[in-house]
Amino acid sequence: MTRFVLVWILVAACQSSDVSRQVGARCDTNADCDVKCLAPDGAWPGGFCTVLCDSDANCPADTRCIEDQGGICAFTCAGDPGCTFLGDGYTCQQVDSHGGGVKVSACHGG
Amino acid sequence: MSRRLTLGLGLGFGAALVIAPAVARADQVVVPAAPVAPPDMSDQAIGASLGVATGGRVTAGGLRLAGHFLYQLSDRDWFDGTAAFTFGGGGAGCFRDRSNAFVCDHGLAAGDSIELLAGVRHFLGGQDQFWPFVVGGVGMRGVEFSADSVNGLAFALHAGGGIRASVSPGIAVTAQGELELGFGAFNHSLGIEPQLGVAITAGVEFRL
Repeated sequence: MTRFVLVWILVAACQSSDVSRQVGARCDTNADCDVKCLAPDGAWPGGFCTVLCDSDANCPADTRCIEDQGGICAFTCAGDPGCTFLGDGYTCQQVDSHGGGVKVSACHGG
Repeated sequence: MSRRLTLGLGLGFGAALVIAPAVARADQVVVPAAPVAPPDMSDQAIGASLGVATGGRVTAGGLRLAGHFLYQLSDRDWFDGTAAFTFGGGGAGCFRDRSNAFVCDHGLAAGDSIELLAGVRHFLGGQDQFWPFVVGGVGMRGVEFSADSVNGLAFALHAGGGIRASVSPGIAVTAQGELELGFGAFNHSLGIEPQLGVAITAGVEFRL
């Protein structure tokens, strides 16, 4: 029993989420995020926390700077299965990169 | 051999048996037992320590300040009653994940806590002014992450070790490291969450 509790504590303490207050958490207002909340709608089902960016260098790992609302970071993907962790409504889409003039694959609603 | 001679030999042998051990004892050098704990440590002491504690998730981490009361239990063991304060501050670290569960992902130094700890310090033996020891105990702590309005009550086991160095007959300094492992109940639908951290502190003790 003691061993089980210790293992549970260690496993639970080391778990981490795929999303964060920076990028990916659900939200209704900016207070739910570190920087900005893309309010729930067809483009961002459930709401989407993100950070503003000028280039990919401003974005956390696994995200890129896309052309939306002046530049925001969104998760990159290689196909729809790569976006399922964000929940219903998200698919892998070709969108404009911010400032780069090229298309990138990113998880997006709608 | 006459009966008198036989009686005399018998008495003499008997006397030798009684006297010989006493003589032998008188020749032995009495060696005092080596101390098993710091000789300058009395049955009671108070102390204070300062250091850092690591946190994460809903474990508070940051500056660790603690007060100690030590009370002798045995030759090697002292009860260590501690009141520990952890000051991490920090911003918000909780959010709703994609399944709409409220989760917290605070960093190593965030949040505040107050803990009352009952433990035992066991000296491992030493020499001169340096005395290593191990510590173990259980604590009850209140934890708060004010930026997220998250708070809870937790219990944690402590285990670690350190060293005590005497600097004068009534004063000693200590260095100590501890692993803290436990769980607590938190608000905001977090429920039962683990407590996991490490604390490294240095302190001073005064003999009472």
